[in-house]
Amino acid sequence: MIAAKNVTLQYPDGTVALKNINLSVKPGEVIYITGPSGSGKTSLLKLLMAVEFPTAGTLEIMGRSYSRGQAGPIRQLRRMLGPVFQDFKLIKGRTALENIMLGMRFLGIPAAEMKKNAAEALAKVGLANKANTPVENLSWGECQRISIARALARKPALILADEPTGNLDRENALNILELLVGSKDEQTAVLITTHATHLIPENQNRIIRLKEGVLEEAGA
Amino acid sequence: MKQLRYNFGYFLREAGVIMRMNLLSHLTSFFSMALIFLLLAMVLAGWWVGNHAIAAIENEAEISAYYAEDMPGNAVLRLAEEIQNIAGVKEVLPVSAEEAYKRMEEILGKEARVLTYFDDNPFSPFLEIRIDLAAMEQVLQAVQQTDGIEYVRDNREVLERLRQLAGAVRLLGYLIITAVGVSTLVIISHLIRTGIENNREQINTLLLLGAPDSFIAFPFLLTGLFLSVGGGMLAAVLAGFALRYLFLRIEGPLPFLPLPPLGSLVLKLAVFVILLSALLGLAGSFSGLQTAKHKS
Repeated sequence: MIAAKNVTLQYPDGTVALKNINLSVKPGEVIYITGPSGSGKTSLLKLLMAVEFPTAGTLEIMGRSYSRGQAGPIRQLRRMLGPVFQDFKLIKGRTALENIMLGMRFLGIPAAEMKKNAAEALAKVGLANKANTPVENLSWGECQRISIARALARKPALILADEPTGNLDRENALNILELLVGSKDEQTAVLITTHATHLIPENQNRIIRLKEGVLEEAGA
Repeated sequence: MKQLRYNFGYFLREAGVIMRMNLLSHLTSFFSMALIFLLLAMVLAGWWVGNHAIAAIENEAEISAYYAEDMPGNAVLRLAEEIQNIAGVKEVLPVSAEEAYKRMEEILGKEARVLTYFDDNPFSPFLEIRIDLAAMEQVLQAVQQTDGIEYVRDNREVLERLRQLAGAVRLLGYLIITAVGVSTLVIISHLIRTGIENNREQINTLLLLGAPDSFIAFPFLLTGLFLSVGGGMLAAVLAGFALRYLFLRIEGPLPFLPLPPLGSLVLKLAVFVILLSALLGLAGSFSGLQTAKHKS
C-alpha cells in the first residue's frame, strides 16, 4: 500500500523535514507515528496525501508514485484516502450530516447511498443525534468525531489521521483512537500521528518514532 | 453527468449559501445588472420598432398624385390608365375626396373629432400610386411630367429620416450591447473571484478530499448564472411594463406610426435579454473562475 525508499523532503526554504525515510505499510495495518512537535509527522502525512512530494528517494502509494502537476492521479489518490485533519477542516454553516456527505459527493455514489453511509458513520461515532446540528455548534471532541465519520463514510483504503487526539482529555482521546481503529474496514490501513505516546493502546500493530525527520521503528 | 445528477440539489444549495454569505454585495450586483439589461432592452426595443416602421413604410411605398379637382371622372380614369403604363408602377387607384376623408377618420380613430371642425371636406381627390421602391426616382419624374397632374407627394423624406433614426439607434444598440457585455462580465467575474476568496478554506478542504475542479466550480458558476439571468428577467419584466406605457402614450398622438404588436415585441425582447444574460453570466463566471485559479 505504501512503499517509501530513502525518502527525503526538503522545503524550498531549505528546511529538511524528513531524511531517508524507509517505510512499508500493508493493507489493514494500524501504525502510530509518534514524535515531538516539529519532528516531521505532519510532513510525512503531507507526502502521503500528495500535498508535498519527495525531493529525494521514491515513494509509492497504492502502487504508483506521484509528482507535482499530476492533478488527475493526485485526485484519484485522495479519493482513496480518509483524512482526519488536526483542525478538522469541517465546512462551517453546514450540518454534521452535510459535512460527512460532502466527502462523498464526488465519488460517484448515488444520493440515497451517500446519505445512508453518512448516517451509519455518524452512528459509529455516536453522534446520530447531532446529524442536523451545524458544525459550529458542536464541541471540539464532537467535531473531531464528525471528522472521523467523514473519513470512515468514504470507505477509504487508507486513513491518515493527523494528531486526532490533540487538545482532548484522556478519556475522549482514547475514545477517538478506539473509533479510528475499531470502526475501520478490515483492509483499511490506518496511520495516526500523535505526540501523546501515553495514549497509545498496548499491543497495537506498529509504533514508529520520528525525531528531527529521521524515522525509527519503535516496535509493536 | 452522473456527478451533476447526484449533486444538483447540493449545487443549488451551495449557490444559495454563497449568495447569502455576501448578501448585500450580491443584491447590489443583481440590481445593477437588472438596470444595465433594462437599458439594453429599451434600446433594442427602439431599434426594432424603428426597423418595423421602415419595413412597413417601404412595403407600402406609394406616391399620391393630385390633379385638378374639377377634372371629369372619365378624364381621371384615362389619367390613371396612362400612369399605370409607366414602368415601376404596380397599381393606380383613384381616391375621391370623400374616400380620403374616410381614410383619415380611420387613421385618427378617437382623435377623428378634429375633422368636424372643418366646414367642408378639407381633402382633395388624388391618385394613389403603388410603386416599386427601387424605381421611385424614375416613376416620380414620369408622373410629374404627365399632363393633368398638378402635384405629386412622396414619402421619401419620411423614409430617409426614419432610416437615419434607425441607423443611429442601431449604432447606439451596438455600443450599449458592448457596454452591457463588458459590464456584466466584469461584475460577474469580480463576484465569482470574491466568492472563491471567501470560500478558499472550503475549497482547499475539498481539494484535499479529492474533489475535481468542476465539482468545486459548479456552485460558483450557478451563482453567476443566477445573478445574471435574474437581472435579465427583472429587466425583461420592467421593459415589458415600460413598453406598454410608451405604446399607450405613442398610439394616441401618433396614430399613423406603424408600431409592431406589443405582445410579440415584448416576448422577442424578453427571450433575447434572458438568453444574452445567461450567456454573459456563464462567460463572466468562467472568466472569474479562470482568474481565481491562476491566482491560487
